[in-house]
Amino acid sequence: MNQRVVTLGMCVGLLFSLIALALQAGAWHLPGNQQGYEPIQPIAFSHRLHAGEMQIGCLYCHSGAEVSRHAGIPPASTCMNCHRFVSAPLGALRAEDELARKENRKPRVIVSPEIQKIYNDLALDDRLLRDPQRTPQPIAWTRVYRLPDFAYFNHSAHVDVGVACQQCHGPVETMDRVRQVPDLTMGWCVNCHRTASAAGVASKPVHPSTDCSTCHY
Amino acid sequence: MAEGKTTKYWKSWKEGPGASPLVQISRDEFPEPLDRPAEQFSRRSFLKAVGFTAAVATAGAGCSHAPVEKAIPYLIQPEEIIPGVSYFYATTCGGCSAGCGVLAKNRDSRPIKLEGNSEHPISRGGLCAIGQASLLDLYDSHRLKEPRLDGKVASWEEVDREIIARLAEIRKSVGSVRFLSGTILSPTLNAQIKKFLGQFNDGRHIVYDALSSSAILDAHQETHGQRLLPHFRFDKADVIASFDADFLGTWISPVEFTRDYAAGRRLDTKPLRMSYHAQFESRLSVTGAKADRRVRVSPQELGESMVRLASRLARFAGAPFPLTVNDSASVQDAVLEDLAKKLWQARGRSLVVCGVQDVGLQVLANYMNELLENYGSTVDVARPSLQKGGNDRELQALLDELKGGKVAALFLYGVNPVYSLPHGPQFAEWIKQVPLAVSFADRLDETSAVARFVCPDHHALESWSDAEPVLGHISLFQPAIHPLGRTRAALESFAIWGGQPKTAYDAVRDYWRENIFPRIRGAADFQSFWDRSVEAGFAVVSADPPKTTKFRTTALRDVAKTTVASDKFSLVLYPKVAMLDGRHTENPWLQELPDPISKVTWDNYACFSPRAAQRLGLEEGDVVRVETDAQIGSSPALELPIFIQPGQHDQIIAVALGYGSKGTERFSDIGPKWLFARPDVGEDGRIGKNASPLLSFEDGTLQYIREGVSIRKTGKRHTLASTQTHQSLTLPGNVPLLGGKQREIVRETTLPVLVADAKSPSSEPSKANGLWPPDHPYTGHKWAMAIDLTACTGCSSCVVACQAENNISVVGKDEVVRHREMHWMRIDRYYSGQEDVDVVHHPMLCQQCDNAPCETVCPVLATVHSAEGLNQQIYNRCVGTRYCANNCPYKTRRFNWFNYMREDHLQNLALNPDVTVRSRGVMEKCTFCVQRIEAARIEARRHDKPIADGQIQTACQQSCPAQAIVFGDLNDPSSRVAKLAQDRRRFGVLEEFNFRPSVNYLALVRNREGAEEKGKESQNHG
Repeated sequence: MNQRVVTLGMCVGLLFSLIALALQAGAWHLPGNQQGYEPIQPIAFSHRLHAGEMQIGCLYCHSGAEVSRHAGIPPASTCMNCHRFVSAPLGALRAEDELARKENRKPRVIVSPEIQKIYNDLALDDRLLRDPQRTPQPIAWTRVYRLPDFAYFNHSAHVDVGVACQQCHGPVETMDRVRQVPDLTMGWCVNCHRTASAAGVASKPVHPSTDCSTCHY
Repeated sequence: MAEGKTTKYWKSWKEGPGASPLVQISRDEFPEPLDRPAEQFSRRSFLKAVGFTAAVATAGAGCSHAPVEKAIPYLIQPEEIIPGVSYFYATTCGGCSAGCGVLAKNRDSRPIKLEGNSEHPISRGGLCAIGQASLLDLYDSHRLKEPRLDGKVASWEEVDREIIARLAEIRKSVGSVRFLSGTILSPTLNAQIKKFLGQFNDGRHIVYDALSSSAILDAHQETHGQRLLPHFRFDKADVIASFDADFLGTWISPVEFTRDYAAGRRLDTKPLRMSYHAQFESRLSVTGAKADRRVRVSPQELGESMVRLASRLARFAGAPFPLTVNDSASVQDAVLEDLAKKLWQARGRSLVVCGVQDVGLQVLANYMNELLENYGSTVDVARPSLQKGGNDRELQALLDELKGGKVAALFLYGVNPVYSLPHGPQFAEWIKQVPLAVSFADRLDETSAVARFVCPDHHALESWSDAEPVLGHISLFQPAIHPLGRTRAALESFAIWGGQPKTAYDAVRDYWRENIFPRIRGAADFQSFWDRSVEAGFAVVSADPPKTTKFRTTALRDVAKTTVASDKFSLVLYPKVAMLDGRHTENPWLQELPDPISKVTWDNYACFSPRAAQRLGLEEGDVVRVETDAQIGSSPALELPIFIQPGQHDQIIAVALGYGSKGTERFSDIGPKWLFARPDVGEDGRIGKNASPLLSFEDGTLQYIREGVSIRKTGKRHTLASTQTHQSLTLPGNVPLLGGKQREIVRETTLPVLVADAKSPSSEPSKANGLWPPDHPYTGHKWAMAIDLTACTGCSSCVVACQAENNISVVGKDEVVRHREMHWMRIDRYYSGQEDVDVVHHPMLCQQCDNAPCETVCPVLATVHSAEGLNQQIYNRCVGTRYCANNCPYKTRRFNWFNYMREDHLQNLALNPDVTVRSRGVMEKCTFCVQRIEAARIEARRHDKPIADGQIQTACQQSCPAQAIVFGDLNDPSSRVAKLAQDRRRFGVLEEFNFRPSVNYLALVRNREGAEEKGKESQNHG
């Protein structure tokens, strides 16, 4: 192999990566740390509206959190519990009612474009009946909180002793789009386990272990 | 316990009695020299490349984002499914025809593990290695995904149209329709086949077991007037005499028999008692390894031994013995006299079983059981076993018909005759001549490749079906997953071809409504009975016992006496525990499972006794030609590497069936690809050699013994991937020990010694601290395990269960040769003695030492002690120095030399999502199934209850058919494991070194007198 060509190639590669580094210097963080990650979701679901304004409990949708490792993303059927009846913001519905009364006609069904996406994914027609011509399509949400494969976090273990959802997920009820609040590093987990064994959770004593095998197996 | 003389244990012939000063057995973990490639890359370039890579990685990693991961929830979530929560379906194992009950552990709509169903009337909680591994078959990408017609992929409509048209033609004519199957346990399918065949003028169902028990059924036809296989009850037997029946390994229903056998040898009663088991056999089987008295006899002498035993029993019973008995004195006389006495004393609580395919010998076994009043107690003919229904005589008749071209339609279900019959290639030609040949095989095996129609059946975990292993004990199959391919249940295929389409679910349910439900006493409504049965996975119903006649002594016949020339051998073809007749030959877990006795993986071989090998001047790995008289001169003969098997008769060669099939060609790229990789398959591209051409038919039964076989050296060599000297535990002679006493790694004793010993106070294990400070208080739980060596049969079900639970990689033959197998649990097999060897099976896993030598040497704290006594291994912290493995006295740590996980996405569905998949450069080992401990802890805290004893079962414990393994909390004095830690038989391996292992072993007890030993001291326990 021509030594000189190899050396030259390597130097060019290094130069390029240094340039790439310089351009993104502001976004530099430790590898794996995704703090502040706020991806755009396929449906602009607002936690601020649902959990904040409407005061719907977290566990209504994320019911797995009480019994499972995963809190779970609700199936579209859970959305339909309400959105079978609620198809658009209240303001828009009222405005249409008003307009219809003025124009002396029956109010039209108004469906907000984001809610329409749920109906489309479930392959429902205008009358919210299953359209046999189309195939339902599951919704591919982008995962915000992501632990590496070698760390096992169990939602139920934390929810059942009374750890508030916001303790790890931050003020989700104020977020239109969900953002990763903590850095999700091991130090962050262990600190909480240490303070909780001393102070308890919700003034009840708990026994969080700091053994490695609590999370790594 | 009293100290006695020490037994010398050894693992392979070369390091044992056959030791030669020239052969140095390596004590290193990885004995091969470090070969280096010729310099292709200079040191300078290497350093440059390293520097460059490091710089780019650092620069790039800081800006990189983790890959975007999608989370896709259900649109409409099924009620029973919560993502991340496991749930179980009670179903039946389809691994063989024993019909054991399993619970399929499902996660997110797919089965990820099979567990034994502890309530099932047949298996009662255990599962064998094959059952455990059958999960992997479900996710096999080589399974047929759609039907085939003339070797091409077809649609079901096409296939059905063709078959229905042809069947209609046959109905009009007098063409004969033949259905050739293995033993079908499903009463629904049997009824449907009967109905289907009834539509034709000449329809017949022929049952062919590649591992046939036909002679037992034929013998009962002669002695009891009913062709049946009795249900043997080893749990009720205090004295067991077995003639070449490997009932703990491969014979009829090993899981059930192991469970029953172990129940008679529990040693937890007062006064202490255990059953007595004598085994007469020519090769060393798993069952023989467990026997209290094992007698090596050649296949020819076996009949003689049975006659002599029967004549003694007749004498005790005062009955005339109709057969001629050879009066000459024999070395076995003392043994047989003693056995006869023991059997006679235990009348009605004894059992004689015979595994030889010889109706005469089977009649003799029946005669002995009759004399011993065992019919009705240990030999149940009122509720006979249906696990083997093969009829070799009918099979032979079918072969003649096929030869004559008289068959119009042939259906093949659960059999691979082209591979497993002695005249396989001819059979292939005959099938091609049959106008309508339909195979239900789920793979393109030797037979389905030549059948015109292939209509693949579902995997057992995909379909509705049922199974009746013992009359009146009916087990249900229910699907645990939606079929992965466009396969179709045979039940449905027959319904369609018979003109009455019906789903498998409806077929089973209707059959149960009409035929099973009326047999239940105190019947409620059908729906609740059905629901209960589906939930439990089985139903026990009443059944009319078959009408048997009084014992017919007239069936007794003289045993043919043959002798074998001294330069010839008898060939014994036997099934291996993992491979049986080769039905799971494509399963890598089973191929890599070391055989319980020989410890060889990925091959079959010709076993010779040490003396026979010496006489022929053969070394292990020499390839020989095994030829029968008829074959000499004609090819192809069987060429096999030899393996030196202690404890085997000098006049026999034992060769395993089930190897060398077409399906094993897939393993050519099973191992990692690297510079020094060697082939994982043989020269012909397959694993092992097919020995079934050496089977033969005699007197209407399939014979597994061939007399007059000669051996010719070929001069070739073949490396066997044997793990028997891998990870050897050694006792260094120069290390000072606490108390100054050095003990053997395994300990054994005899029942009389144990009984005598029970009167003296027990000695406490050493409590000295030595080097390590006592800094582990264990205030909460202290996890520990107890393993009973008396119960353990070495069946290796735990090894595969562990592999399935913990995502353990398969490495391939070449890597096994390099001592790189990954099993977290291994079963060390020790021999003692010279020719009539005793065997000790010793399950060895991470001992979770309190004073763990591995922990002190890890430079990055990747292996540390938990507050509950676990020796934790943190994969993400491990940098792969391998210091820990070097320092582990038990050799239980495994290193990932490569990224072994395949790019087979289907197979990856079998991975346990609760256990990390380890990558290259990481050390791993047994964790006591810590994922199960954590799950149980979370569950217990949610319900605000303490973890109950027995709530956590490790995968190995759950699977053990002998219940040899107990796991629990040592800090809970009422737990089983704490009680066993106080047992008199307890010992810790290498505990003199003060490692304080958390695994307690219970010494092996053999039910034999010290005097019965031939100059061998067995009272060596501590």
